[in-house]
Amino acid sequence: MSTVDWKSLKEGEEFKFEVNGFTRTHFVKYAGAGGDFNPIHHDETFARMAGLESVFGMGMLTAGVLSRVPAEWFGPASVKKYTVSFRSRLWPDDNVTFSGKIVKLYEEQGVPHAELEISAVNQKGETLIRGSSVVRPWNPS
Amino acid sequence: MAAIKPPGIPIERGKIHEFANSILDDNPMYHDTDAAKAAGLPGVVAPPTYLSVAAHFTSEEEMFSHLAKLNLDLRFVLHGGQEYEFERPICAGETLTPEMGEVKSYQKEGKRGGVMQFYEIPTLFKDQNGKVVVRATSTIIQTGGVVKE
Repeated sequence: MSTVDWKSLKEGEEFKFEVNGFTRTHFVKYAGAGGDFNPIHHDETFARMAGLESVFGMGMLTAGVLSRVPAEWFGPASVKKYTVSFRSRLWPDDNVTFSGKIVKLYEEQGVPHAELEISAVNQKGETLIRGSSVVRPWNPS
Repeated sequence: MAAIKPPGIPIERGKIHEFANSILDDNPMYHDTDAAKAAGLPGVVAPPTYLSVAAHFTSEEEMFSHLAKLNLDLRFVLHGGQEYEFERPICAGETLTPEMGEVKSYQKEGKRGGVMQFYEIPTLFKDQNGKVVVRATSTIIQTGGVVKE
């Protein structure tokens, strides 16, 4: 359970982690768990026939790993909104930095909210995903 | 392949555990029912992108008939973006029912793949009480050809 002190949050605060060395096995595990069996993500022969160097990871895999930013920082139950747009592909052996930054703090009906800018960037500095998330404390009634 | 479609999308502990592992997340709220209950939740929480597993519970026929309506050329289709908005956390033990909304479409001039046609596909997920708990929007892009990076 994350223990965020909502009152002491500041705009500009950051959260960051890295995943080094994505593999085809990551893609296949996500295919099974997430249900995306597009062969372009697991079948090397198919990917080459489509003119690509190799299979590549699903956008939703990268988006899933990136969701750790709001979920680990504020707790999974606190995630109110999660928005991603896909910019570049995730390739085998990529090292990816996942990060988030508080860009806005506000209240809605007396409940503190934080808006985050989030991104996944590979070792070449290419943005795989750019997105945003809104979090607020979730108190089960 | 036979089209098997169970009614609704069951939110299950085992599936959440598997999904969370696949996105490399060991948060106890995803894996440990006791931890979730200690936080006042009825069961382990589904990660923010968990509802992408909805594909498991949609028959291929249904998916393709939906795409067929959009007249997409599946060779040149990209997933442009995805959004989830939660009224409350989704937890193991409940069943959600998806409802596809009206598709919005618009065009943009692409830098790499010619004219791009955007489709925003909204889906509402309702709980057993008929309440909307998640609003999802997928953005699908039809490009004019293969997009090279």
